[in-house]
Amino acid sequence: MRKTILTWCLAVAMAILPLTAFAEDIVIVIGSEPTTLDPHAADDGGEKAVNDNVFETLMVRDTEGNLGLGLAAAEPTQVDATTWEFKLQPGLSFHNGEPLDAAAVAFSVERMIDPELNSEQLSYFSTMAGAEVIDEVTVHIKTSGPDPILPARMYYFMIVPPEASQADSFAEAPVGSGPYKFVSWDRGNEIVLEANPDYRGGAPDVSKVTYRFIEEPGTRLSTLLAGEVDLVTNLLPEFMGQVPQAASMRGLEHPMVLLNADGGITADARVRQALNYAIDKEALASALFEGQAQVEAGQLLGPTYFGFNEDISAYPYDPGRAMALLEEAGAAGGEITLVSTAGRWLKDRELTEVVAGFWSAVGLNVDVQIYEFDEYLQRLFRSEDGQRADAIFVVSGNELLDADRSFSAYLAPSGFGASNSIDQLEQWITTARTEIDLDARQALYEQVVEYAHEEALLTFLLNINNIWGMSERLSWEPRVDGKMFVSTMSVE
Amino acid sequence: MSWYIFNRLWQGVIVVLSVVVVVFVLTRLIGDPVRVMLPLEATPEQRALFEAQLGLDRPILEQFVTYVRDVAVLDFGESLWQRRPVIEIIAERAPATVLLSVVAIAFAVLMAVPLGVVAALRPEGLVDRIVVVISLLGLSIPQFWLGLLFIVFFSLMLGWLPTSGAGGIDHLILPALTLALPAMTRMVMVVRSTMIDQLNAQYVKVLRAKGMRPWRVVAVHALRNSAVPILTIAGWEFIRIVSGYTVVVETVFAWPGLGLTAIQAIERQDLILLQAIVFVTSIAVVVINIGLDILYKAIDPRIEIGSQ
Repeated sequence: MRKTILTWCLAVAMAILPLTAFAEDIVIVIGSEPTTLDPHAADDGGEKAVNDNVFETLMVRDTEGNLGLGLAAAEPTQVDATTWEFKLQPGLSFHNGEPLDAAAVAFSVERMIDPELNSEQLSYFSTMAGAEVIDEVTVHIKTSGPDPILPARMYYFMIVPPEASQADSFAEAPVGSGPYKFVSWDRGNEIVLEANPDYRGGAPDVSKVTYRFIEEPGTRLSTLLAGEVDLVTNLLPEFMGQVPQAASMRGLEHPMVLLNADGGITADARVRQALNYAIDKEALASALFEGQAQVEAGQLLGPTYFGFNEDISAYPYDPGRAMALLEEAGAAGGEITLVSTAGRWLKDRELTEVVAGFWSAVGLNVDVQIYEFDEYLQRLFRSEDGQRADAIFVVSGNELLDADRSFSAYLAPSGFGASNSIDQLEQWITTARTEIDLDARQALYEQVVEYAHEEALLTFLLNINNIWGMSERLSWEPRVDGKMFVSTMSVE
Repeated sequence: MSWYIFNRLWQGVIVVLSVVVVVFVLTRLIGDPVRVMLPLEATPEQRALFEAQLGLDRPILEQFVTYVRDVAVLDFGESLWQRRPVIEIIAERAPATVLLSVVAIAFAVLMAVPLGVVAALRPEGLVDRIVVVISLLGLSIPQFWLGLLFIVFFSLMLGWLPTSGAGGIDHLILPALTLALPAMTRMVMVVRSTMIDQLNAQYVKVLRAKGMRPWRVVAVHALRNSAVPILTIAGWEFIRIVSGYTVVVETVFAWPGLGLTAIQAIERQDLILLQAIVFVTSIAVVVINIGLDILYKAIDPRIEIGSQ
């Protein structure tokens, strides 16, 4: 009897052991399940987290955000105002053996802009008008107007195999060219990728990666503490001390407050400057984010974004100055409306409330209005009649790392979320959008930054870090763009 | 009996029809899906294109007619968020919720009935007092917090069970317990009070006086006469689990069921998916109710519906 029990125990142990023996397998927890694995269809963080490992792009960025070469063999060149030439590395292929050549790139471009696909990513690529194959490794990408940032856009644009991507199953079982191959997708539960042994430069260290999807931050934390997983995204700053390892990196999110330059109490530039001086950004970073945030450099851009102006820095915390400015503008004790939402961005409500607190401290009467997201969006989007709240809290994210996206949205008067009607800004930003001479373009953006800063069109706040929780055995360097390339990870 | 069932069925059909109307109106009141679903920086042209694709640019009456016609043949359309037929998503997720709910209500009944009976045997006794205290505790703990507490205790401290996700039976235990405990505490109070009433009834005294063994009095006669109220509360709890609590608990445990999907659909403003989930859930509630009525009738043939 005892012997049978022992035998059984052994059998069970042997059945369990192989599952845990492969140390080079890792599990990553992401916040939301991909809606599709078609890399062209959705604008969706979950999809990107997985597909960044399966697909590749012409251009890449290093961990700091500097643009470099991916599938491209050389820096792209401009043939004429509306044509960019890309040279591919020779001999590339997809996981299914299809060649990754100029034809595949041209096909991918046409696919993305096809109205039939109606891609959610189109706002990143709307300048693309078509592509032309020159020879096997040379492709011309046409743009509808001059587009100086096409190379930066290409870092976001995944190249798909012409044949496999036309199959119905492509959105559920993608075929790419990257260091990992798709294995399986158990909807609601997990996605599994395996290392591509034929990847150029050799197979990556981690041989198999499983993605799980957990929205609840507390549950995400406990999977890591229980040793079930190796990497969790979006760890809350207050949990950093509890996890085996934490990694933190300046991220892409810039919370800020749009100030209405067209009317109300904020029409006076001195009031807008006062609102900037009144806020202790260091205190926000340390109290709300446990120090896991940087004071935003007064321009909505990170240091590696195209357009960053090194001469501009944050408004210092100077409540005395703020009060003096308010007095001068005749706005002391005035009333100001601050519109915001809750639960959409990390600590959005808390940030709004603390900002309101700082403004109250310099004597303003702050009316905080927090709306459900859709109600909030109605107020954020510029309406026909131009009526705007005095101050609107918003978080700007900029995946392209180029000034155009943020400035066109929040500073150019034609932008959906702009709170000013300054023609000069519109002109600068529109010119810069199509300016091919990079120095001239940089100069234009520096002008915009300086102007917006001086006029205090926004209340600049912070640049929030991305935080990852990691198991003891995982080693990995996080990146500015938040991408998780499994090929850069290893386990002991 | 068959007249009784027929009656219940057409009442169910009316409920389902009104749910169709209410869901249609509600999902169109909660906001503009185009604004929420596209990235903030999307251009007006893209918004117009997207709106046309969803059919949201057409008159509301036309949208309603199309909607009712499609629902009649169980065609719920394509999810805005996942870009595939909604019916496919529901078919994929519903089994997980059904499994979780059934196991949870089974846990709850199996705990509540014995505890309630034991408590009723000696009202104000030690066991009774403990049961009442536990019930009050169970009633006042929010479920998401209870779930996290279970994870900390059973997964982190003891390491017995996985924290989240779906897989083997071990994945099922914690979410099912989290759903079962609050339901159990409410049921135990009903079982207790009904049993106290029954045990004080005249027929129990007669049975005792005639010398029937105490366990038989309790387990066969008193419990059977308490069956209808117990069934009512159990059915009520089951409906609450299926149509509400799974939303919270599935989110905490990342359990891939309909409740979690409903939350995701709301976050992504996927009104096509959301209205289908609400519709399917309401059908489930109607079906459970009809099932309960039939059970009542089987337990106590004196029960009539709508005819008194």
